[in-house]
Amino acid sequence: MAVVNVGSYTMKRPGSKGHRPPPRFVPEKKISWRERAIIFVPYLWMILFFLIPFLIIFKISFSITEISIPPYSPIITFEDGAMQIILHLENYTNIFTDPDGTYLRSYLKSIHVAAFSTFLCLIIGYPIAWALATSKSATRNILFILIIMPSWTSFVVRIYAWMTILKRDGLINDILMTIGVIDHPIHMLQTDFAVYVGIVYCYLPYMVLPLFSALMKVDYSLIEAAQDLGCKPVKTFFNALVPQTKSGIIAGAMLVFIPAIGEYVIPELLGGKDSILIGRILWQEFFNNRDWPLASAVAITMLTIMAIPIIWFFKNQRKQGAHV
Amino acid sequence: MENVTPLNATAASASASVKNNEALQAKQSHRPGELPGKKASPQEQNKKPILQIKGLTKNFTNFTAVNNVDLTIYEGEIFALLGSSGSGKSTLLRMLAGFEHPSAGHIILDGEDIVDLPPYKRTLNMMFQSYALFPYMTVRQNIAFGLKQERLPRDVINERVDKMLKLVHMEEYVDRKPYQLSGGQRQRVALARSLAKEPRLLLLDEPMGALDKKLREQMRLELVDIINSVGVTCLMVTHDQEEAMTMADRIAIMDRGEFVQIGGPREIYENPNCKFSAEFIGSVNMFECALTTSSPKRSLIQCNDFPCPIELQHDIDIADGMPVSIALRPEKVYISHEQPEEETNWCVGIVENIAYLGDISIYYVRLPSGRIITSTLPNVDRFKVGLPTWDDQVYLSWDPESCIALTF
Repeated sequence: MAVVNVGSYTMKRPGSKGHRPPPRFVPEKKISWRERAIIFVPYLWMILFFLIPFLIIFKISFSITEISIPPYSPIITFEDGAMQIILHLENYTNIFTDPDGTYLRSYLKSIHVAAFSTFLCLIIGYPIAWALATSKSATRNILFILIIMPSWTSFVVRIYAWMTILKRDGLINDILMTIGVIDHPIHMLQTDFAVYVGIVYCYLPYMVLPLFSALMKVDYSLIEAAQDLGCKPVKTFFNALVPQTKSGIIAGAMLVFIPAIGEYVIPELLGGKDSILIGRILWQEFFNNRDWPLASAVAITMLTIMAIPIIWFFKNQRKQGAHV
Repeated sequence: MENVTPLNATAASASASVKNNEALQAKQSHRPGELPGKKASPQEQNKKPILQIKGLTKNFTNFTAVNNVDLTIYEGEIFALLGSSGSGKSTLLRMLAGFEHPSAGHIILDGEDIVDLPPYKRTLNMMFQSYALFPYMTVRQNIAFGLKQERLPRDVINERVDKMLKLVHMEEYVDRKPYQLSGGQRQRVALARSLAKEPRLLLLDEPMGALDKKLREQMRLELVDIINSVGVTCLMVTHDQEEAMTMADRIAIMDRGEFVQIGGPREIYENPNCKFSAEFIGSVNMFECALTTSSPKRSLIQCNDFPCPIELQHDIDIADGMPVSIALRPEKVYISHEQPEEETNWCVGIVENIAYLGDISIYYVRLPSGRIITSTLPNVDRFKVGLPTWDDQVYLSWDPESCIALTF
């Protein structure tokens, strides 16, 4: 579950209002300067590489584009000895009032793709995690390596590999044509299907690992108790196994959903021209249109959208924690 | 024996169930099913068998956990499977519940062979050793769980749950989650949950295993009371002989996948049928001897540890000169400072050690042969003759009927 804690740093992002109340049952403890120094290292990291860039983007999102270097208007200006702060909100209003609805559509599309990929990862990952958790330790090590090994290869290389598998004269079409199942090659590359294949393939380990750690802690007598009390296998699964692995399911879903929503490389390489996800919008605004302020506003809005499930997750975690 | 003042003649307290003797008798008095100390077969023949196990076997890859066992359990009785770990008792229970599939044999519940039925189709319920309460459900939800699976109407479920809560005295705790309950309360909820479906047979897996000693003794009789008030037939598995003797009407001692002896608590204690049984239940002095003479009314046995022969008032069905083991319970060995007048059934020794247990003391008496015999005495000097102390020379004697001759 160490992976999940990565998320908690995002949560603890300084500057956001509404800090968590201090844990109730932990006695107050003086933190020595050595401990402070150690804690400061990750904080420094987060400040340098998350907070400051975030604030810069946040600032840019309130300016308007200009032909200059940098290509946006300054927020703070001095004129006749008076300091002026001009906050342009049109970038945000543009997102929501765009006549084509491009931004809103791509947000919805991104959420849809991320949610469905998360669901696919869950239904594929659960049996894998179950097999891992119930296998003998020797087999388990081999299975673990098989799950983790693909990530030793570069992410982009793996996506290119999928392109050669899915393309018109690629591996799958070749095999199916040779066997004689199909006459004409199936159009798979540059479809949503290919995007789902790519996302599920890449993010599956992030679903499997938290599920596995949750399944390792399962009390199997509860499963037997459910059966004993009259549950058929499917009901046993939903009544005894799912509630026990809820934290793993949520953690896995977060680890897949959050990166998937802003995914750029996979839809760009595997997706069709019409599948415009928010990642591509960002790219286009930044690099093609050089409209940094609008791109920043799109990014900030996306961050807000992603913050909702994270906050929900940690609320849920805390509630669960109080129970154990 | 008349002139020998038996110091412990009044103590019939079996070391196995010293504290629960009274309770045991109290329980038996309102359970007319079995006469204490006698085989209850006449009564049992009138009873309806509810569960029949025939030739049940479970082989695992390396060993046989349960080996061809037969057992009949009658309606309304509490039956205990007693054995040490690895004796196969838990495997047998799990086969009854349906969590293990037997390698061979039949399980007939109410006339129907349930061997191939999955757990959820069996009309029996189990109370798990860990209780296996659903931690994410309240007490009420836990008890209602089995009923919900039957798709009963909500008011029927609520009514039944209320009845169960009342039965186990947990009405105040309906909305608590298991982690908010004490061990004893959890056990009651687990019991209520397994009784809610009104099973034909209730399985208890080490029912007291998760409780501390004090609570254990209290819950034993409470559990029996609840089970009796519902009238459910009950099969329990335990490694604790005291628990089995307090709670069960009949006990089966299991060893290496087989039944060693089946009988009432008193029968098993007083008349063990083999050395394993005698040594497993309570403590016992065991002597390896040889049969001298055997006649229908009297058998004489020679034991090298004793100056005189051991006398039994019945015959032993083996040839003269053959080895035989004599089992003698410590509480049946009298200690005296004076030499008995009989020519049989006594010996002399030195008190080497005394273990003071409060209500009783255990005396370790070393015989001239080096052999140690244990004898228990209550710590009440009713006859004002003075209890033996360390290094006293004492005479140990016993009644002929106290000796149990065991041939295997």
